[in-house]
Amino acid sequence: MPVIFINGEAVDTGEHRTVLQAALANGFYVPHFCWHPELSVVGNCRVCLVEQEGRGVNIACNMPVVDGMRIETDSETVRAQRKAMLQFILLNHPVDCGICDKAGECALQDYHYAYNGEPALSREPKQKGTKFYPLSSRILLDNERCILCSRCVRFTREVSKSNVLGIEYRGDSALVRPAEDRTLDDDPYSDNVIDICPVGALLSRSFLHQARVWYLEPTPSVCPRCARGCNVQLWHRKPEWRLKGLDPAQNTRILRVTPLENPRVNGPWICNRGRDLGEVLERPRAEQALQKGAGVTMMEAIEATRALMAESTRSIALVSSWASNEELRAFRNALGDNFTSFVKPDRLPEEGEVVEDELLIRADKNPNTRGAQALFGSDPPEIPEDADLILVWGEGVDFGRLPRGAKTVFLGSWLLPEVGHADVFIPLSIQTERRGHYTNFEGVVSAFESCQPRPEGVIDAETLFPLLAAPGAWGRG
Amino acid sequence: MKHLIPEFERMKRRLPPGHDATLLLPCLRRIQEDRGYIAGDDIDGLVAYLGVPRIQVEEVLSFYGMLRREPIGRWHLQVCHNVSCSMRGAERLLDHLSGRLGIQPGETTPDRRFTLSTVECLGSCGTAPVVMVNEAYHENLDAADLDALLERLD
Repeated sequence: MPVIFINGEAVDTGEHRTVLQAALANGFYVPHFCWHPELSVVGNCRVCLVEQEGRGVNIACNMPVVDGMRIETDSETVRAQRKAMLQFILLNHPVDCGICDKAGECALQDYHYAYNGEPALSREPKQKGTKFYPLSSRILLDNERCILCSRCVRFTREVSKSNVLGIEYRGDSALVRPAEDRTLDDDPYSDNVIDICPVGALLSRSFLHQARVWYLEPTPSVCPRCARGCNVQLWHRKPEWRLKGLDPAQNTRILRVTPLENPRVNGPWICNRGRDLGEVLERPRAEQALQKGAGVTMMEAIEATRALMAESTRSIALVSSWASNEELRAFRNALGDNFTSFVKPDRLPEEGEVVEDELLIRADKNPNTRGAQALFGSDPPEIPEDADLILVWGEGVDFGRLPRGAKTVFLGSWLLPEVGHADVFIPLSIQTERRGHYTNFEGVVSAFESCQPRPEGVIDAETLFPLLAAPGAWGRG
Repeated sequence: MKHLIPEFERMKRRLPPGHDATLLLPCLRRIQEDRGYIAGDDIDGLVAYLGVPRIQVEEVLSFYGMLRREPIGRWHLQVCHNVSCSMRGAERLLDHLSGRLGIQPGETTPDRRFTLSTVECLGSCGTAPVVMVNEAYHENLDAADLDALLERLD
C-alpha cells in the first residue's frame, strides 16, 4: 500500500486512490463541493485544493495517490487560493442564508465562515437567476443559489439513471434544467438530489420553510415500505426546542426523512416513497380497544381475547410482516403453541408505484417478511373452513373472506374498517413509538429507535402477547 | 436526418467502438448544414441513433450559440462586434443594417430573406469590420459596401 505524507504525518492510503479520499479517511478534512463518494470525479468546484511538495497546488479529488508524495492541506498558499476560489464560487450567489432552508447544514455556508469570511471583492452586479423553478411536484430549484457543481446531474446519470437533468447554456448563464420532455417526477429517487446538493439550490417542497434544521434532530429508523429496509433518519423537533403555544403534535411530527448511510443496505440513498413515510405512519390512528365495535378497556379486550382463545379448538394467526423481530419472538414465545401461524403481507404494491427496480425498490412492500418467515415459515396463509378463531395481526386482510363461523381478533394500529368488524380489536403502537429490528430480504438486520410518544390506550405488541398467554399477568404487570 | 445516416456511419467507423456519443457535435453540424436548423425530430432521431439521453443533446445545442433550433432567413448576416470590428465601426454597420432591413439583431425579415445577428470574433481582425453572410466573409466594410452587398443578395 502506498504511504503518503499529509501535513507531515505518514498515512497508509489503503484502498484509496485519490489524495482526497485518503485525507478524508484519515481525519484530514479537505473541503469539497462537487466531489461525492458515490459519483464520478468532475473537479469543477476547485475548492479541494491541496499543495504537493514540488508540484504546487492542485485539486485533491483528482490527484492520484503516489507513494511518498508530500501533501499540505492547509498551507499558506492553499489557504490563499482556497479563499480566492470561494470568492469565485460566491460571485453570483445571493448569500441569502437568512431565508434559505439549507442554512445550518450548508457546505457553502460552512466553508464561507471557515475559509473565506470576507465580503465579495467583485463590484459587478450579481447575475440574476430563476427562483423556485419547479423541477417536479417534489423539488424546487433556486438557480441563483446553484454553484453548478453538477452533483444532481451526475446523480440522475450515474445512480438513478433517469438522465433527466443537465446543465444548459454556458458561463454565467448556465442553468441546471430537466430535458424538455421530462421532469424529475420521472425519477423515483429524485429527492436524493436535495440531500447531495451542497448549497440551498434544490429544495424539498414538502419541507420548504417548515423548520430551521438546528431545531431538529434525527432518530435512526428503518423504512418499512419495502423489503429493502433502507436505513433512514426521521427528523423531528429537539425536546429542548419544544413549542409550547402551538399544536403539541408539532413537537413530535416527522418533518422530513433522509437516508442513513448503510453500505450493506441502501448506501447513502433512499427512494421517494421512503421520504413520504408520513403517508403510511401518520394515517388516523385507532386508539380505543373495541369489542364488536363497542369501546372497552384494554383489560376487557385482553380478557375477551383470552376467553375466545380458551373456547377455540382451531386457532389461526395471520402474523404481520410489519412486526419487529422482538415482537415476532414475543408472539412465538407466548402464543406459538396456541395458534397455527402464517406470515401474511400487510401491504401490496399500490397503483402507480414502482414495483421493483435494480437500485433499491423491492416488490415485497413489507419490511420484515424475512424475519417473520424465519419464525413462522414461508407457507402462504391457508385458513381451514373449520377454523373457529382467527387472530389478524396488522393490516392487509379482507375480513369478508375469512370463514363465516370464525371469531376474529384484530391487532392493528390505524383506523381501518376492520377495526369495527372484528370480535375484539386491540390497538397497537407503531414503529416510531417503540424500538426494534427488521430483517431485510438479504438477511441484514437494522435497528429503529422510538421518537414519538405512544398514545394513551395503545399497547406495545411485546407487552400484549405475554398478557394474552399468562393467567393473571395483567394484574402483576 | 435519416438520409444522412450513411454519412454518420462513415464518421462512426473512424472512432473506437463505444464512443458514439462523440459524434453528437459533428452530426448536429451536418444536420444544420443540410436543413438549415435542428428540428425536434432531428433531436429524437439522434437520441435513437447515437443512444445518448435527450438532455445531452439539449446541453450541446444550448451551449453552442451557432447551433439553431429555429429556421432562419435565406441570407444570414452575422456582424462581428468584438473589439477590432467595434473600433472600426461595427455598431454603425449594425444600425445601418437594422434600419435597411427593419429588424433587430436576432430577428428575421417577414419575407424570410434576411436574418440579422451579432457574433463574437470571426478571426479576421486585420480586415475589420467583418460581416459573414452565410459561409462567406465580407471584409473592410462601410455602409455603402453593405448597400451594394444587399443589392446582390436576392
